[in-house]
Parts: sequence; structure tokens; C-alpha cells
Amino acid sequence: MKKNFFLKNISFTIFSVLALLIILAAVFAPLITHGIDPLNGSLKDSIIAPNAEHIFGTDKMGRDIFARVIYGARTSLVSAFAVVFIVFIVGMILGVVAGYFGGIVDAIIMRIADMMIAFPGLVLALAVAGIMGASIKNAVLAISIVTWPKYARLARSLVMKVRNMDYVNAAIVTGSKTLHMLVKYMVPNVLPTLIITAATDIGSMMLEIAALSFLGFGAVAPTPEWGLMLSEGRAYMQSAPWLMVYPGLAIFITVVVFNMLGDGLRDILDPREND
Amino acid sequence: MRKSMKKLLALGMSAAMAVSALAACGNNSSTDNKTASTGKDTSTTQSSNDSSGEKVLKFGVQMYSDGLIDPASQTNEAWNYMRFGIGESLFKFNDNMEVEPWLADSYEVSEDHKTWTIKLKDGIKFSDGCEMTASKVKASLDRLKEEGPKGSSTPEKYLEYEAEITADDDANTITIVTQKAYVDLTGNLANPVMAIVDVDDTKDFSNETIGTGPYKVESFKDQVGYTMVANENYREEVPYDKVEILFMGDASAKAMALKSGQIDLAENITNVSDIKDFQDNDDFTVDIASGVRTGFSWMNQNGVLKNETLRKAILMAIDYDTICESNAIGGLYTAGFSVLPSTLSYGYDKLKNPYAYDVDAAKKLLDDAKIVDTDGDGIRELDGENINLKYVSYENRLLNDFSDAHAQYLAEIGIGVTADYGSSDDQWSKLVAGEYDLNNNNWTTVGTGDPTEYLANWYSKSEADYCGYKNDEYDKLYEELLAEFDADKRAEIIQKLQQVLVDDAVAVIDGYYNSSMIYSKNVGYAHIHTADYYWLSTEITPAK
Repeated sequence: MKKNFFLKNISFTIFSVLALLIILAAVFAPLITHGIDPLNGSLKDSIIAPNAEHIFGTDKMGRDIFARVIYGARTSLVSAFAVVFIVFIVGMILGVVAGYFGGIVDAIIMRIADMMIAFPGLVLALAVAGIMGASIKNAVLAISIVTWPKYARLARSLVMKVRNMDYVNAAIVTGSKTLHMLVKYMVPNVLPTLIITAATDIGSMMLEIAALSFLGFGAVAPTPEWGLMLSEGRAYMQSAPWLMVYPGLAIFITVVVFNMLGDGLRDILDPREND
Repeated sequence: MRKSMKKLLALGMSAAMAVSALAACGNNSSTDNKTASTGKDTSTTQSSNDSSGEKVLKFGVQMYSDGLIDPASQTNEAWNYMRFGIGESLFKFNDNMEVEPWLADSYEVSEDHKTWTIKLKDGIKFSDGCEMTASKVKASLDRLKEEGPKGSSTPEKYLEYEAEITADDDANTITIVTQKAYVDLTGNLANPVMAIVDVDDTKDFSNETIGTGPYKVESFKDQVGYTMVANENYREEVPYDKVEILFMGDASAKAMALKSGQIDLAENITNVSDIKDFQDNDDFTVDIASGVRTGFSWMNQNGVLKNETLRKAILMAIDYDTICESNAIGGLYTAGFSVLPSTLSYGYDKLKNPYAYDVDAAKKLLDDAKIVDTDGDGIRELDGENINLKYVSYENRLLNDFSDAHAQYLAEIGIGVTADYGSSDDQWSKLVAGEYDLNNNNWTTVGTGDPTEYLANWYSKSEADYCGYKNDEYDKLYEELLAEFDADKRAEIIQKLQQVLVDDAVAVIDGYYNSSMIYSKNVGYAHIHTADYYWLSTEITPAK
């Protein structure tokens, strides 16, 4: 039975293994890099092309790019998961509350959400991060602030679909408490769709964090972060391409893996696409 | 009806222009004839030139102040005017930053340094053919009093508005009488803001200012650049018939344009990797000049860095030579330990640096002062708190790279650094507000040939003392400098001032910034000068 499941969902299996590998690489970064410090280099070794000692070369400060790319996975994964977790929780709670109670509560929550959506996401995130100052924490907050309405709208519409169904009314009539109603009847209706959305969003959140860092509003030097590494290597695109190629590849591979994983998860969880 | 009106109007206008042109060059009728004939000459040479043999230079430059060229309006406009070879001033700086006569021939100064009599070179002409008389020079300097207050180029910094200028056309001299005494007015007159313009004949000061330089403006295209032609009235032979000045977005754009042959010559390509490429490439020549700019980080003595031991240890922890020689900085800066560049003649060789790079000594210094890491997090504590310095910096002339490098070296001796990089405006406002521990920037040290203004940065009674530094000995020496007029004695005082700053560990010196000019095989010779005011000159010649 179990074997069957993995064989049936071959794409999900492959990409979950790959995603696991990326996560393991982040967790065991010191082992993989043989203890090379991603923050410490010698200016004597600055901008060396890939060789046996530094397989990805070195950057401007003489730091090993391989170590920085591996350690960069920690920053990227942790911040991307943090964003997804925050918007998942905040969006779900606000959306469910808005959909269940309706009226003035719904109006207030959803108008705030509309305001957020009416503005280009990354531009608003740039403004928020710019006001709060550059740091990876603020970047996570900024992106969360512009992303939660998507989840709130989704949760609200799913709640409203079942809000007036007979079994819900029956539960209310039989005296179920409001909290019980939300947790037992509303949230389970919302969860599968939100989980799928969250899984497919991991990749794009990673991109947004990298974009903020690239523009100088996210991670701060000398943090190993892929977006920041791209920005640092920008001036050397022609003469020392390895400064940009490896962090670029890291972003590309990780985003593809998590996007495909999200797609795989959707195929499994979304009943409409299951035969 | 309308057509005839237009014709009449056109006729009237051209007549008026002819009259004004006649009036412009004064009462010498022979000059007028010459102007008219040379005017014709230009038009014929132009048409014939298109076919063959015309020497053309394509020069890629950074666009400052939209490429405008009115010296009285903005500082960058004044620089454009001089850099593009359109205008010249009475004096100029040589590569040792010594003042030499340019349009002036010689000068005399009274005992009290308030009366300056300047003899002008004979036979200098503006590019429209008019003679540069003493009255014209006076008109040009007087114009600054009128236009200066409207703009931002602050000509009063170089010559007070109260100065009385008189012109003697027969003797070809001007006399400037000032109310305050100037140590050396000639250095001030060498500043591009003081460049000489033809006030009467210039119709459009924004883009067609008439000067005495080797080239004159033929046409201007907004955001694109200038087409310049040789000034046929120039006192020497002008090597190029035509110069295209092309505005380039950034250093990479300049580098790419140079590689693709779109331009022949570029100034100040600041990407080290690009410079290296050009240096390794036989098809290009890189000319690097030691400039007069110092990159340095202020140490804020109103914060944790009021601790002198900490400041000294910081200076000893950083390997300046390695940074300046690294592939990241490579050649764009020369390492040094004083706030004034080593190339200037203010006794750099005689200065003693007690805080040369020595990591172990730095660690020992901190250990001995009981600035140690007690909680084992790798960061030393001072008064029970982790030392975490806020490093303000901005992306210009590799400053962020220096800041990163400094942070890396400081980590080695257990001093934490938090980067706070932003725009140049952020950097400046944080400097003025004192919101920093280290603040990295790049200063012109001898804008008028003398570092007095720059050294006020550490004079405690000056508004420019942004780091809260106070040393009575320095203040006393600085006041002596303000009162001293003898050049040798001034140099001596300036040397002492430098030594006080070195001993007190007041700043982390990045190095001394070098300017560069890079040219292809189409150009025979080009040279970038120490003073950043001169780009296009008759020195730049086509390849044979």
C-alpha cells in the first residue's frame, strides 16, 4: 500500500527527496563544507576562479563561494518557511473569522486586505522594508505583510461556501460554541487548499526574499544569502562570472524543486485532479 | 501678409545679431573681419570633413548635472566646462598640486595678502575670436557675484563677493583687492568655478558657454552628449577636428562601449575587474594617476569609540596593503595611514605610524586593557556590553568593499560590526547626526591646492568636526595654520597636524583614490591628472 503510494506519485516522491536533500545540506552545512567559515576569508585570495581548493571560487572578500552557497541555503530556507508559516496562520485566522462572522468584521478585514492587494506586492514590500531598515527579519515581515491577504481571501471564500450549509446550521442549533464551530467545522474545510497554496508558494517566497536582498533591503553583509551574493557579484558579471553563477544556480534549483514539490502535493491533495 | 511679416522679422533679427556681433568684440574692426571670415571657414571645413581625413575623438564620460556648463550655476557644471576643454581659468594645478599660471602670465601680491595684481597672457582669444582682454576677465569674475547667489557653485568660497576687481586693458592686468587676506588666492582662482567665460557674447550659458579652451561646442543633445569642434582661435594647434562627448550611464557601460569601439577614450572606469581586463589587453592603455582624494572612515568619539585603546587596536587589526592590492580594490587606491594623500608635499615620509598592521599586537592591546570576551561568543565586551560597531557606508568608489573588508579584519580580533549601507544621502545625514560608529566616505583633500578646509574636519571649534574629536594641541596648531602665510611654515604645521591625527587614531584610512583614463589604439596619448578638473586637453592626441 505504502509502496504503491510513492510509485503512484512518482514526481512527488522524487522532488520530496530532492527537497529533503536541500534541507539536509542546510542542516549539515558545516560537515559538507569541511568546516570552512562562510564569513571568513582573506583579502589575499579575493576573486579566485574555481579551482581544487575552492571548487566554486572565491568572492571579493576572499571567502569560499561553495561554503557561502551551502550556508546560504539556511538563510533562504528558514526565511522562506518563516514567511509561508506566518502568512498561512495569519491569513487562515483572519479569513476564517471574516467568512464565518460576516458583516462588519468581514468588511473591516477584507477592506484592509483589498488595500494591500491594490498595490504591487514587491514594491510595497520594498517600501515596508525600506522604512523598517535592511535586515532579513524585516524582509520576512515585509513580504508577510503583502502576502497574507491572498490566504485570507482564499480561506474566507472557502468558509463562505459551507457557512450556510445544513450541517453547519444544525451544529449551531444544537448549541456548539463558536470556537468549536471554527476549529471543528471551518478550519478543516480550509486546510487542504491552503496547504497546497502554501507549498507552491515556498519557491516564490524564496525568490522575493532574494529579490529584496539583491536590492539591498534584505540580508545585510556579510550574511551568506543568495540574493545578496548576486548583488555583490553584479559588477563582475563579465570578468568573474562565478560570483553570480553559483548563487544563481542555487536559487534556480531550490525554487524549481520546491515548486515541483508543491505541484506534486496538489496532485495528491486536490480531489478534482485525482482519478 | 503673414509671410512678409515673418521675413521682416527674420531680417530685423539677423540685422540685430550682426550689430551685436560687431559690438561684441569691441572697437577693433580688424578683429571683426577676422571673426566673420573664420566663421565662414568653419562651415566649409565641416562639409569637406565629412568625406575624409577628419580626426574625431569619441570620449565616454559620466554625466554630471545633465551635462550643463555654466560655472556660476553648479559646481559640477563648472567642472564640466573645464573637463570638456571648453573653458580655462587664470591658474591651474600641476600633477603635484602646485599652482601654475594658465591664462595668467604672472602675479604679484601685496604684503598684507589683500591686493593681487595678475598679468594676463598676451594674445589669448575666446573661441568666437574675441580677444580675452582684462575687462573681459573682470566681467567674467564679476558675473560670479551676480549669478553665484542664484546657484549652488558657491564662488564666494574661492573669492569673496566684497572683492574689488579693476581691469587695465593697456597693461593687460587685473587687480583684485580683497577685504580678508588670502593665503594663496591663485589656488582659489584655479578652481573650475572661477573659469573665465565670455560674458558679453555667450547667448546660452547652459550649453554654449564661450571659453578660451581648445574645443568649442557645436551642438548639444540632452542626455546624449556634446559635439565639439576644434577652437580655431586657440593659441596652439588643436589635435582633433571634432570630439564627441558621450554621456554613459555607469562604469560598466563605459567599459562595454570602449571594448566594442563605440568610444575611443573613457574616464574613471571604477570596476576593478574591468580595469584589470583593460590592463591585460594590448589593445588598450590604462593611465592611472594618484589623486587627491582620501577614502576614510570617521570614528565617532561620542560613542563606544571614545575609548582610545579600542581605536588603536582597530587600526592595528586591518591589513591596509593587502586590501588595496587585492583583486577587489586592485590599484584604484594606494594604501596609507594619514588623512592626507602620500603624494602631496606635506611630509608624509616624515610621519610615524605607531599603529601599523599587527593582529597579535592589536589583540594584546585589548587584552591588556581588559577588553576581553568573557561570555565566549567570540565578541569582546567593553563595560559589560558586546562591542558591535555600526558601520555606515555607501556604494561609491568601492567604499562598501572597504567597509566589508574592515569588518572581516575586525571580526578576527573579536570586534563585531553591523553593516548599515545606504545611499550617499543616508551616509551624510548619519554622519551629521552622529548616528554611526564608523562612517566611510571619500573626500577631495586639496580642492584649492591646500588642505586647510579639509583639516577643519578635526578642529573642535569647526562645524565640520562630525566625529566629536577634541585635542587642544590640534586646535592650537590649526589656529596657527589659519594665521600663517609662509608656505614652508604652513607645510610644517600641516605635517604636525597629520601626526597628531595619526597618534590619536582618529580615522580608518581606506587609501588614496586614483583616477584613471583608458583609451583604445585610436588614441595616441591621453593622461589623467592629479587634479580631477582636466580631462579633454591638447595633450590627448590621435594615434599616428
